[in-house]
Amino acid sequence: MNAVSGVPQLLSRPYKYLRLEWTSELAMLRVRTCVKPIQCYSLAGLTEMQRVLDDIAQNPGLVRHLVLSSDVTGVFNFGGDLALFVLLVRAQDVDSLKMYGRRCIDLVWWLEHAARRGVHTTVLVQGDTLGGGLESVLPFHKVIFERSAQAGFPEVLFNLFPGMGAWPLTIRKAGFAVANDMVLSGRLFTADQLLRRSLVDVVVDDGDGENAIWDVVRMVDPRLRGTLAALHAQRMAAPITYESLLTTVEMWAETALTLTTRDLRLMERLARAQVRKAGGADEGAVEEIKRIELDTAWGELRTGNTVWGDAEHGTGLTAWGALND
Amino acid sequence: MSMFFADLVVRTDEARRAFETHPVVLDAVAHGLTVERYRTLLLELYHVVWHFNPVCAAAASRLSDRHRQVRYFLYEHMQEESGHEQWVQADLEAVGVSAAATEAHAPSPFTRALVGYNYWAADRRDPCSALGMLYTLEVIASVYGGPFAAAIKDALLLEGERGISFINSHATMDAEHMADLRKILNTLEDEAAWEAVVESALINFHHFTRIIEAV
Repeated sequence: MNAVSGVPQLLSRPYKYLRLEWTSELAMLRVRTCVKPIQCYSLAGLTEMQRVLDDIAQNPGLVRHLVLSSDVTGVFNFGGDLALFVLLVRAQDVDSLKMYGRRCIDLVWWLEHAARRGVHTTVLVQGDTLGGGLESVLPFHKVIFERSAQAGFPEVLFNLFPGMGAWPLTIRKAGFAVANDMVLSGRLFTADQLLRRSLVDVVVDDGDGENAIWDVVRMVDPRLRGTLAALHAQRMAAPITYESLLTTVEMWAETALTLTTRDLRLMERLARAQVRKAGGADEGAVEEIKRIELDTAWGELRTGNTVWGDAEHGTGLTAWGALND
Repeated sequence: MSMFFADLVVRTDEARRAFETHPVVLDAVAHGLTVERYRTLLLELYHVVWHFNPVCAAAASRLSDRHRQVRYFLYEHMQEESGHEQWVQADLEAVGVSAAATEAHAPSPFTRALVGYNYWAADRRDPCSALGMLYTLEVIASVYGGPFAAAIKDALLLEGERGISFINSHATMDAEHMADLRKILNTLEDEAAWEAVVESALINFHHFTRIIEAV
């Protein structure tokens, strides 16, 4: 099949959770996610995303630029489907947890090797992105955040860890210390903080994200072959293996099975906050995470039991005092 | 052992999310319900719970010896669920509905559709379909029951377990049941039983969503 004839196939699938747009002069595929009302990586959403990536892979040379953004105001992605996790943990179904994790890392793996497929990838984050949502952002070649967007790995707050690439992807972009701080604290970070940690490439004012996408794509397109070759070489310089991603997913699934009722209730608290945000409330999961951190910090102050023991790496109250770092 | 439970989760995931993301459910989980609507919900639930064991009994009586493990599972489950309609009744009394009013309540067409389907499926479709009913009700209770009970408690300023004992206790209890249900579902090896369970779960999610929608 030649490249042009693949366009109708790519665009004609009846997606429920994705909206696709094609810009022929740049061979740019825009994918907007809309897993409404709770924007997360549901099984169906993952399946649709994988279908898009498979279609691109089956039509080499068709897509030069892949751009991902969210159609849900204020939320890029809440990460994993928390209700599904609760269901699978309560059913003690480690096989399904591993299957879910494998589907996630298959997306990460595709993006990791996008340059080899001749595709430059850009992501625009215009709202909250948590856990798996942030993990899915990190393999993109160019990461754009609008200034009000916040992101983090809150999993440790409910005794889990981000298991779909957070460690290697964060270490590669920002170094071990930053990865340690982000994964083990559960803190949320502003767009500017993420920029200073090299996890984000561009921060623009709210509302300027769309223009930033065009700036990136127009800048890259004339030197695409060289850029992709360089990015391919960049990833070979600090390779991530599928086997290590898979092993981590298996550890993640087995850890999830050990979650207690208290942990699941915290997860439910977050899920309930996501629901409130989906219903139009100003406050959502991000604010709930801050409250959970405060609860934890107050507990530590009352008991004198601090996990980190110093302000630099502290969670809760100390961390929020460091928002401008 | 099959991996049918995993297959069931995937094949019914859209129906589960359709329930979870229904505007009425979203609003109820985020903000609770008014006392009038909560009373109506409990009155409908009373009938779902009241008919649960007879549906299981009908299914158990029709199961072939090939599925004897399912029959034993249903026996145990019926034993555990026996009398739980009285918990709903107690919650209703806590929010101002007398036992007589509860028993006199005529269930909505949506509740009758759910209960009627489950009797019909056990009797005429495939008795293994009762496991689809169990799956749906336990997912709803164990995954959504906790947040929903918390929202109701906040909204109606209820104290302790008063008024939410049925939903709250099932949120915890059905967590244990989920693991048992996974094990029994993974003993099913025949495609006819798998299809019956999936169909039943999808229809139960559909009808349960309609029940909540109408509250």
